[in-house]
Amino acid sequence: MSLLEIKNVSKIYGELKALDDVSLSVEKGEWVAIMGPSGSGKSTMMNIIGCMDKPTKGQVLLDGVDISKESGRKLTEIRRDKIGLIFQQFHMVSYLTAVENVMVSQYYHSMPDEKEALEALDRVGLKQRARHLPSQLSGGEQQRVCVARALINHPELILADEPTGNLDEANENIVLDLFRQLHREGTTLIVVTHDPEVGEAAQRMIVLEHGRVAREVVNESFEA
Amino acid sequence: MSKRRMFFKMITASLLRRRSRMLIALLSIAVGATILAGLVTVYVDVPRQMAASFRSYGANMLLMPGEKKALNRESTDEALSLISREKLQGASPYRYISAEFMGNQTGEGKYSSQLKFMTAGTSFDEVQKTSPYFAVEGRYPEAPREALVGKNVAATVGVKPGGNVRLAYDRVKTVAAGQTQRELQGSAPGYYDAEVGATVLLNEDGTIAAVAMDLSRQTPFRVAGLTTDSFTDTYGVAHAESFTDQFIGKQIPLTMSASADDLDEYIDAVSGATASCKAVVDAVNAASETGTHSAGQQITDTERAAMSFTVVGILETGGEEEDYIYLSQRDMEDLTDERDVYDVVELSVSGSSEELSALAGEINEKTGLEARLVKRVTKSEAGVLGKLQALVFLVTLVVLVLTMISVSTTMTAVVSERRKEIGLRKALGASDGSIRVEFLGEGLFLGLLGGVVGAVLGYVFALVVSRRVFGSDLQFNFLLVPATILVSMLVSALSCLIPVKRAVAIDPALVLKGE
Repeated sequence: MSLLEIKNVSKIYGELKALDDVSLSVEKGEWVAIMGPSGSGKSTMMNIIGCMDKPTKGQVLLDGVDISKESGRKLTEIRRDKIGLIFQQFHMVSYLTAVENVMVSQYYHSMPDEKEALEALDRVGLKQRARHLPSQLSGGEQQRVCVARALINHPELILADEPTGNLDEANENIVLDLFRQLHREGTTLIVVTHDPEVGEAAQRMIVLEHGRVAREVVNESFEA
Repeated sequence: MSKRRMFFKMITASLLRRRSRMLIALLSIAVGATILAGLVTVYVDVPRQMAASFRSYGANMLLMPGEKKALNRESTDEALSLISREKLQGASPYRYISAEFMGNQTGEGKYSSQLKFMTAGTSFDEVQKTSPYFAVEGRYPEAPREALVGKNVAATVGVKPGGNVRLAYDRVKTVAAGQTQRELQGSAPGYYDAEVGATVLLNEDGTIAAVAMDLSRQTPFRVAGLTTDSFTDTYGVAHAESFTDQFIGKQIPLTMSASADDLDEYIDAVSGATASCKAVVDAVNAASETGTHSAGQQITDTERAAMSFTVVGILETGGEEEDYIYLSQRDMEDLTDERDVYDVVELSVSGSSEELSALAGEINEKTGLEARLVKRVTKSEAGVLGKLQALVFLVTLVVLVLTMISVSTTMTAVVSERRKEIGLRKALGASDGSIRVEFLGEGLFLGLLGGVVGAVLGYVFALVVSRRVFGSDLQFNFLLVPATILVSMLVSALSCLIPVKRAVAIDPALVLKGE
């Protein structure tokens, strides 16, 4: 069974069809990039997969659960339990240290565990910066903290929204390397991006145009 | 780390690490709490302060003789024993007499005129408690034969501290006091047939209890041009106790004798002018019953006493006290030759007007004395207190509302400032409930800090108000500290309700995309 199965999903805002009868599926352990220019429906897709919006029509199965019919409260629970989010603008709580930011995610999920949070930071190479506030961290460092935060609750799916959009090339590579490492460990990754370089790092690219799947490209040269 | 610790870590970090905005909210609450604590302190302490202030306008209760009860040391002590020691601020006994001013020189100088002044004997220690507004130029009397003289009296007689006043008082002597006595009156011709009157009191056994002579009708002879000297014997008789004393214990009819050996039985004819003596005896013998005297009625006579006093202070009150002369109780007793007799006792008692009325009623009932509230003061005291408390209450309410508006506005600004963070928290899986709890938690923490600051500053504020307005320190009310903190937390939490509602409504999707 696929981890994520989107069947004939449409999202309609008044006259505008943000998504128009889209179907796709993502297998467990797969690394998929969703690409497309602005207005192609990437964000809407991201919101729906991230349990922050519901489709107007169609069905979305995440780990066997139909999230298109769930209430807001239930969606929050599913998001918390199954999805790790990474954002273009990192979004850290400005007044909490790196390790505390990771712990916030634990706090909402289950139990804050500083040791585990420090291990997660160690994994993204930021153990030394654990006690720093976001303002004392570089953009790349912040995004690595966010990767650690997304990982901390062992989600089924990591959903990244333009994760390298605000990073320079060096930091972009660090983040992509992290993704590769996660992929090797069996984590399912969905990366929404318009950056071809980031898209090409994935196993498979799904290109959206005008709310429809324009094409799917399997990366032949992908190395696990 | 437990979930609770993480919770506290988050809300404290939010306040302590992002100072600027929260500082404004904290300031609002602290200012609100300060005024609140200050006003409540004043509110609580004002009745005490006001009572003290009002007491300084004079005694608020008077003790006076009852219908069947004399006011003296004993009955006063009895009444005072009904008032608790903490409530009784002072008790000044007053004995009032009308004393004749006999000059301001020590010597037996001439009467300057027929000046009489109301003269009071009192305890100056107590007066300073019941009438703290008395302003004395010089000092209060401390030693015997020292007097405090009212400003008007001093001006009238021209005396200054260090000066001297001589006062005369006609002591009222009780000639006799009986139980049930029959009163007889009679008359007989005296000198030149002028009528001499006699009033006789007979005891129940028929013996004479007292005799008072009325020689006034002999006066026409003086008017007729005879010199006063030719009547000294008659005048002497009128005032010679030794003459009338002989009558006491004897029975009517009386007989006169010229022999001093027979005085147990007869009236000594030589002790007064013969004609007068005979006339008096005749009058007594001719007396017929005119009525009975009930217990307590007295026949009195007067005796003049004069004493000199050193003026040590001039009293200025702006009131009728300036027309009085004040002596110590002891000096008054010497002047009047009466011990422990008071005309009025002024009391200063703390308590509400209800408590005071109840107390007055109790004294009336239990001692038979008449205890009267000085109504003007106690009533206005209650009225002013009520108005002041209502005002303080109103101001407190307004301050609370203003604080709430201010905190609410700040928190709303804080919420919009932290929309991203709230969105992030929700995206990370925070339920609406957690967002609500976190923001209310921040509000409560803010209230706690503001309350602590406010309780301390509020006390200082109240102290300043108290010193400025009432000129006295106030009692620190420890209960007010937790109360202030609780109220601040409550106000802060209430102020957060609307901002929290807005926080909960934030869409987590806003953290996606590069908004």
